[in-house]
Amino acid sequence: MKPLACLLFCSAAAFAQNALDPTAAEWKSAAHMTLSLQRTPPLYPTDAPAAIEVPSVQAQFLHTAAGNFVRLEWADKTHDTTVLPKAERAWQGEHLVTQSAATDRFSDACAVMIPAKPVIGDLNPSLQMGDADHPVRIFVWDSTRGAAVMEASGRETTKRTGQSFPAQGQYANGKWSVTLQVSDMKAGTPFAVAIWNGSQQDRDGRKYFTIWYRAQ
Amino acid sequence: MSQHQISMVLDLNKCLGCQTCTLACKKLWTDGDGMDYMYWNNVETRPGQGYPRNWDKIGGGFEDGKLRPSELPSKEDYGQTFEYNYAERLFQGGMQAMPQEEVRNTPNWDEDVGALMLGENYYFYLPRLCNHCTNPACLEACPRKAIYKRAEDGIVLVDQERCEGYRYCMKACPYKKIYFNELLGKAQKCIFCYPRIEKGEVNACAKQCPGRLRFVGFLDDPESAVHKLVHVHKVALGLFPDKGTEPNVFYVPPFNPPRTGSYGKSVLEDPRMPMDYLKYLFGDEVVDVIRRLESELHRSQNGGTSEVLQLLIGRDDHVRYQIPKHEDLIQIQGAHKA
Repeated sequence: MKPLACLLFCSAAAFAQNALDPTAAEWKSAAHMTLSLQRTPPLYPTDAPAAIEVPSVQAQFLHTAAGNFVRLEWADKTHDTTVLPKAERAWQGEHLVTQSAATDRFSDACAVMIPAKPVIGDLNPSLQMGDADHPVRIFVWDSTRGAAVMEASGRETTKRTGQSFPAQGQYANGKWSVTLQVSDMKAGTPFAVAIWNGSQQDRDGRKYFTIWYRAQ
Repeated sequence: MSQHQISMVLDLNKCLGCQTCTLACKKLWTDGDGMDYMYWNNVETRPGQGYPRNWDKIGGGFEDGKLRPSELPSKEDYGQTFEYNYAERLFQGGMQAMPQEEVRNTPNWDEDVGALMLGENYYFYLPRLCNHCTNPACLEACPRKAIYKRAEDGIVLVDQERCEGYRYCMKACPYKKIYFNELLGKAQKCIFCYPRIEKGEVNACAKQCPGRLRFVGFLDDPESAVHKLVHVHKVALGLFPDKGTEPNVFYVPPFNPPRTGSYGKSVLEDPRMPMDYLKYLFGDEVVDVIRRLESELHRSQNGGTSEVLQLLIGRDDHVRYQIPKHEDLIQIQGAHKA
């Protein structure tokens, strides 16, 4: 458990017909907060040090009758994403259908991490993917591969649940804006954000992260 | 570390460069989506750029027990995959069959080019597959613990469920024998034909080899050809032993015939290719191996018999392959609970 490093985070209730659309009107009026991003230190001896190219992310929160939504917006000069053809005949192909276009590119992505169990008091789970007593759920949106719910109870324990969740991303004018529908993220729920910058070969623990915040 | 280690020995003196092994593997394992550029088994001309391009010069493996930094090869480093204008050629006629795009690099781009020494050309073929290392750098590098080495036969596999496509393994492998399937977002590699091996059947690349240059068996089986070639006769060496991964694919080095006009001289006295190049690939021990092979050859030429050369001829399958069925192997290990 880490001591609470909590800043009040603004939430807004609104009509949210289009809350999943990052450009929807309700987001323009919703309060926002700029969260500082930290860079993970090199995790492996083979990792080259990385510059801070994405210093902050702007977060908004909408609690509506239709659900709980988070909108993340961050500046990223490189638009690292691709549209993959669907692999339909992997391992059984009678002939080549679709090709891998690249071997060395990585995608921009973001994630929201929340405790998997209600937090008691003002202590949050470990920022490093929770811990054995305080598991976390991670809502990952990858610009190439879409949304996936993961769970973890400490570093190197992260695994896919097989579930997805509604999310939408858009890149325009050098900025990503992504909305995620995180049903468990109610008012007061602690959350932390991660951003991956594909052009910096970000993936796994090589990323940007925030401390814990609370949606109030 | 595994309890047993399956292994392959390839006699480079017998390789024709025909790529039958490459196609046997391709047809069996890598004709699925996203696998087009992958050749889990490839044959490259040495000296040459290799596949992927310059794989031997971009790091990986271990240095002082720690992973050595490396780079991810790009798709172009592996070589383009392209189509020909067959439809136009066949149905309209009057034109050459040409690639549909400008070709700048292919997996076998510099085939048979080789190099010159003292005005004479030299080259040889180097078939390559995953080395199923005793100390796999890929396994060490994977934060997902998706790579494992099987206790029963030492085959190294990537768990396709656990793999998240982070590609640390691709960087770590000094042989660049792990590939990224972008469509599936998974790392994929040679599986040493484990479904065949488990049935006591040899790998497809070995089975199809017209040169009969591949020997397969358990390194710890004293009756196996691979054991004899590697540990008893000591005529087979791993590729780049200095990379620290202890590869389990071994090569009988090219015998390096003497240059034209140097009849009667020893291979080591007047080699056709620079010994330093062979040392670069197989380590300093390659000189002793060639000396051993030469002495065996002399014995045979002088009317004696050479067990090593007889073994290397390896005419029949049972001489080259000693692969117990998996169920027998497990029973031998005593791990099988009926």
